[in-house]
Amino acid sequence: MSQNDVALMAHLMRRAGFGTTRTELEAYVEKGYENVVDDLVHPERGTPIDEDILERYFGSEGGYVGIWIYRMLNSRCPLQEKMALFWHHVFATGLGKNQHILASTNQIDMFRRVGMGKMRDILLELSKDPAMIFWLDNNENRKGEPNENYGRELLELFSLGVGNYTEDDIKNCALAFTGWTFGQPIPLYPHGYYAPPFLFVEEEHDDREKTFLGHTGNFNGDDIINIIVEQPACARFISRHLYNFFVADEPQVPSWNVTPPQDPDAIETLADAFMASDGHISHVLGVLFNADFFKEARFKKVKSPTELVTGILKLVGTGQGPQPGMAQYGSATQLMGQKLLDPPTVEGWHTGKEWIDGGLLTARVNFAVREVSDASKPGIQDIIARLKDNGHPLSPEAFVESCLEFAGPLVVGDTTRQYLTEFAEANGEIDFRDDTTAAENQALLVSMLQLIVASREYQLG
Amino acid sequence: MGRPYGLLRAGFPYLKCLSMRRTTNFPVDIAIGKEGRLYILCRSDNTAMIRKYTVEDEDLGTMGRYGQGEGQFTWPVTIIADSEENIYVSDEYLHRIVAFNSEGEHIGTWGEHGTDPGQLNGPAGIAFDSDENLYVVDSLSHRVQKFTKDGKFLLGWGSYGDGEGEFNMPWGVAVDELGDVYVVDWRNDRVQKFDAEGKFLFAFGKSGSGNGEFNRPAGIDVDLHGDVYVADRGNDRIQLFNAEGRYVQKFLGDATLSKVSQAYMMTNASPNRMRDMADLEPQKYLRQPKSVAVSDDGLMFVPDFGSYRVQVYQNMAVPLTEQEFSPPRRSVTLHQE
Repeated sequence: MSQNDVALMAHLMRRAGFGTTRTELEAYVEKGYENVVDDLVHPERGTPIDEDILERYFGSEGGYVGIWIYRMLNSRCPLQEKMALFWHHVFATGLGKNQHILASTNQIDMFRRVGMGKMRDILLELSKDPAMIFWLDNNENRKGEPNENYGRELLELFSLGVGNYTEDDIKNCALAFTGWTFGQPIPLYPHGYYAPPFLFVEEEHDDREKTFLGHTGNFNGDDIINIIVEQPACARFISRHLYNFFVADEPQVPSWNVTPPQDPDAIETLADAFMASDGHISHVLGVLFNADFFKEARFKKVKSPTELVTGILKLVGTGQGPQPGMAQYGSATQLMGQKLLDPPTVEGWHTGKEWIDGGLLTARVNFAVREVSDASKPGIQDIIARLKDNGHPLSPEAFVESCLEFAGPLVVGDTTRQYLTEFAEANGEIDFRDDTTAAENQALLVSMLQLIVASREYQLG
Repeated sequence: MGRPYGLLRAGFPYLKCLSMRRTTNFPVDIAIGKEGRLYILCRSDNTAMIRKYTVEDEDLGTMGRYGQGEGQFTWPVTIIADSEENIYVSDEYLHRIVAFNSEGEHIGTWGEHGTDPGQLNGPAGIAFDSDENLYVVDSLSHRVQKFTKDGKFLLGWGSYGDGEGEFNMPWGVAVDELGDVYVVDWRNDRVQKFDAEGKFLFAFGKSGSGNGEFNRPAGIDVDLHGDVYVADRGNDRIQLFNAEGRYVQKFLGDATLSKVSQAYMMTNASPNRMRDMADLEPQKYLRQPKSVAVSDDGLMFVPDFGSYRVQVYQNMAVPLTEQEFSPPRRSVTLHQE
C-alpha cells in the first residue's frame, strides 16, 4: 500500500464522498482505485443505509438536516449522498420562502433517488417538484397570465447557461410549463406537514404551438426538457458544474458566459461523456473520477462547510451510530455560511474562496479544533492505537508526519510544517507505548491535531 | 376481575382527538393516570418532555425535560404509571429508568449501562406486572429483564436471533392480568408471548402489510379482556388481536380536530382557507404511531406521532358468559342459527 495510493484514495473519498475513517480508507485502497470508482458510480451495488434505524432513533422532520449529515457519514453509497448535495447546490431551493420542511426534504430525497440517473429524468422530476414549483412561482404560471420565473431559471441556471437561448425561448419555455403546479397541502397547523402532490391542471395549460431552440410544436414541459438535454450547451453547462463541485473551484456561475473554464479540455471530456451517454450522470462521473485532471487536483478546492464538518466528524469518529444532537452539525454548517435546505438565492451558494472570510474562517477553525479536542472519541483513539503500533518512539519530525498522515493524508507547506515541528520539538521524542506518559501523550496528540485542523491547508479538500 | 369467557365486539368507534402541534409535539407514548389524567411523552431532536393532560383535552403543564442530568431524559421511549400514579420513563440513550411523582418531582433514577445481567443497553419498553415489578425490554442486548420498581434485578431471558425466545432489537412490552408477558420483536416483525418467568408460549405476526402482519411494530398494550393492541408503526396503524393472537381488526385513524385545535383554527383565517383548498382525507389517518395504551374503562389512546395528537377510541365490547357464547368451533361454517 503506497503512500501515493492512500493519498489518491483519500482525495477521491473527500470529493466523491465525505471523507473516510482511516480503516475505511485502507479498505478502499486494498480494493483498488478503479474498482472503487466503479462501485461509487453504481450505488445500487452498495448496501443502503438502514432506514429502519433512522426511523426508530430519529424519525422527526425537525431534525432532517442532522439526519442528512448522519446519512453523509454512514452511507455505503457516499457518492449518491454527495450528488444529492450537488443538485441542492445547482437547483438551489430555499426553505426560507416555502416554510414547508416536508416539501424541501422531499426534494432532497428526490435528488438522492434520481440524482445519478439521466439528466432528462432529473429535470423532469425537478419540474414536478412542489418545492421548486413554489420557489420559482410556477404555481402562478397559467395560460393567459404566464409567470416566466421557472422557465428563465431552468435555462439560465439549471441547464444551459446565459448565451445559449433567447428571450423568446424563455417565453415559450414558460408557456410549456403552464399548469404545472401542486395540490394544496393541508396546512401545518394543527396537525403537521402533509406532502403536496404534483398537479397538472389542463385548463391552465397553454397548448398553443411554441417555438423553442429552433424546434416548433405543441410543446408541454416534457418536450422542452427533451430538447434541452440534447443541446451541447447543456452537456457543457452541467459538466462545468460537475468540474466546479468535484475537481477545482471555478468562478461563480453568473460569470460563466464571460469567463471561460480554467480547463476547457476537461469540460470537453465531460461534455463528450454526457452526450455519448444520453446525459447519464453516473457515466459522466465515472469519466471524471478516472481522469488525470481529477487525480491531479488534490487540495485545489476550498472545502464547503458541509465537507469540512463531515470530514472532521469522520476523522474523530462522531456519528457512526445513531446519537442525539445531530442537528448541532447542521447549525455548524450554517454558522460557516451554508444553511442546508436554505441556500441564499436561486444561484445557490457561492463556492471556492467565497466560503471563507474572517468570521467564517473563525467558525470553521473553532468547530474543527473543538471536535478534535476530545481524545476519547473513537477516531482519536484509533490514531493513538496506530501510533502505539509503530513499535518505537517517534522523533518530533516523525510525530508531525504521522499526524499529518492520519489527519488526511494532508500536504502542508514549509511554513506550516515548521510551526508543527517546532511545537513537537518543544516536547521531544514521544513514545505512545509508554503507559506512564499516556495522558501527556494524548494531550500532545490532541494539541497537534488542533494545530493541523486549524491550518490553512486543512481548509482545502 | 377474571377474564370473560367471550366478548360481544359491539364496536370500537373513534371518540376524539387530544391536542395539536406544538402542544404535543411528536408524542411517542402515553401513560394513563387516575381521574382522567394522562401523561404524554414527547420526543424530538434535542427536545423531550412529558405533557400532563386530561381526557377532556385540558393542558396541566409539563414534567421532566431533555438532558442528561438528574431527572432528565435524552431519548425517552416508554412512559408508564404505577398504582400511586408515579411515572416511570425509559431512556434508551442514557440506559436508565427515571421516575417522577404525579406532580413531576423527580423521585428516582436507576440503571447501569452494560450487557451483564441487571445492566441496561438501550432500554425501550417497560411494563409493570400486578406486583408492580418492572419488565424492561433491553433492546440492544436483545433480551427482557425483570426488576423491582427500584431497580433490583430479578430475572431475564432472550438473546439475538429469530427463533423462539430470541429477539432482534425488541421494543414494546406488556403484561396481562394473568401475568403473561408480550414482547414486540421489532426487527423480526412479530409479537412473542411468555409466561412470567420467560417461558415461551407462542408468537404471532410476520413481515408485511396485510392483516395480522407487521412493518417494524413498536409499542403494545393488553386490556382487561386479554385483547392485545400493537402499534404497527411502519404500516401507520394499530392492530388488535385476541388473547390467542388471532387478528381481530385494525385502526387506521379517524381523527377530527381536537378542542384545542378547533379553538386555534377559529382565530386563523389563512389556514382555514388553505384547508378549504386541500384534500382533507389524509388528515384523519395515523402517522407512524409508536405506541398504544388502553384504560380499564375501554378507552384506547394512540399517540399519533407524525400528527402531534392523541387519537382516542372507545371499546364497546361486552363480556359474555359461557351461556352467552357457544363453545369454540374447529371449522368455519355457513350454517345460520
